[in-house]
Amino acid sequence: MNKIKKIVFLSLLVSLGLALNIIESTIPVPFVAPGAKLGLSNIVVLTTLVVFGFKAGFTVAVLKSLSFAMATGSFSGLFYSLSGAILSSIVMYIVYKHFNNYFSLIGVSIFGAMSHNFAQIAVASIIMENIKIFSYLPVMSLVSLFTGYFVGLSSIFISKNFEKNFFKIIT
Amino acid sequence: MSIFKYMIKKLIDKEGMYFMTKMTKWDKFLIIFIIISSLIGLYFVKYSAFNEGQKYIVVEVNGEEYKKISFGPNMVGKIIEFNTDFGHNVIEIGEERVRVIEADCPDKLDVKQGWISSPGEIIVCLPNRFVVQIISVNETEKDYDYISY
Repeated sequence: MNKIKKIVFLSLLVSLGLALNIIESTIPVPFVAPGAKLGLSNIVVLTTLVVFGFKAGFTVAVLKSLSFAMATGSFSGLFYSLSGAILSSIVMYIVYKHFNNYFSLIGVSIFGAMSHNFAQIAVASIIMENIKIFSYLPVMSLVSLFTGYFVGLSSIFISKNFEKNFFKIIT
Repeated sequence: MSIFKYMIKKLIDKEGMYFMTKMTKWDKFLIIFIIISSLIGLYFVKYSAFNEGQKYIVVEVNGEEYKKISFGPNMVGKIIEFNTDFGHNVIEIGEERVRVIEADCPDKLDVKQGWISSPGEIIVCLPNRFVVQIISVNETEKDYDYISY
């Protein structure tokens, strides 16, 4: 796979993630927890991690949150999403690389969702200097269990299809 | 055709793309573990010292703040009467809790409600326009409107 093709493909993935992020930010989430989101764009990140490896997945995750901040102009949310993206992509890659005999992509995605939550809440409690924000963690992790499950499920399907249809591009 | 597919599979395996396609035993363990631990966490958050900051009682009459009472050891068992333009109510303060023990309203719903103790709980006596609620200092601090992620 040559370099330009890879760059083009990764930027397509970034824009796909950005589009999903913007779409899901317009969906009101009917949960009690404030700030709970579906995490649709994590499908893109997880699939990139699986198909292209760590470097590409990490780049896509970071660029996605940066471009989301630029697209919506909410720079206050940049730290939260960036920290979540960084930690969750690292954790997902470690779990995927070293424990893929034990966990399917669903497990990997749930790990990613949990670490995403943890990073965001940690950053929020540092910024607001209030440790009590961690009391949101149980609620958020229950919610993100479901979203993580569906993200993992769809990543399985998408990665399979990558295998079938895009093998020329990825190899 | 199948050989072709097999070759593709091999090629991809060499690149490191390999994953379980079905939920494994460990996935289920993980899910159960997270559910249990977050339920324990929820319980802990609800019933521990986490939520207890400075609690105090606010009595409102006709929508305006009438009196603020703070909890303390010398307040336990104290009975306070409220005679306002709208009626007569008596509250009793206990250890970190409060209840209405007497009212001249017809249905006595506020008396039947019993003790309230945690921040955000409220006793209302509509006919007398009388409201007793417990406010926590931290509760108001936590009350930001919106965080964007």
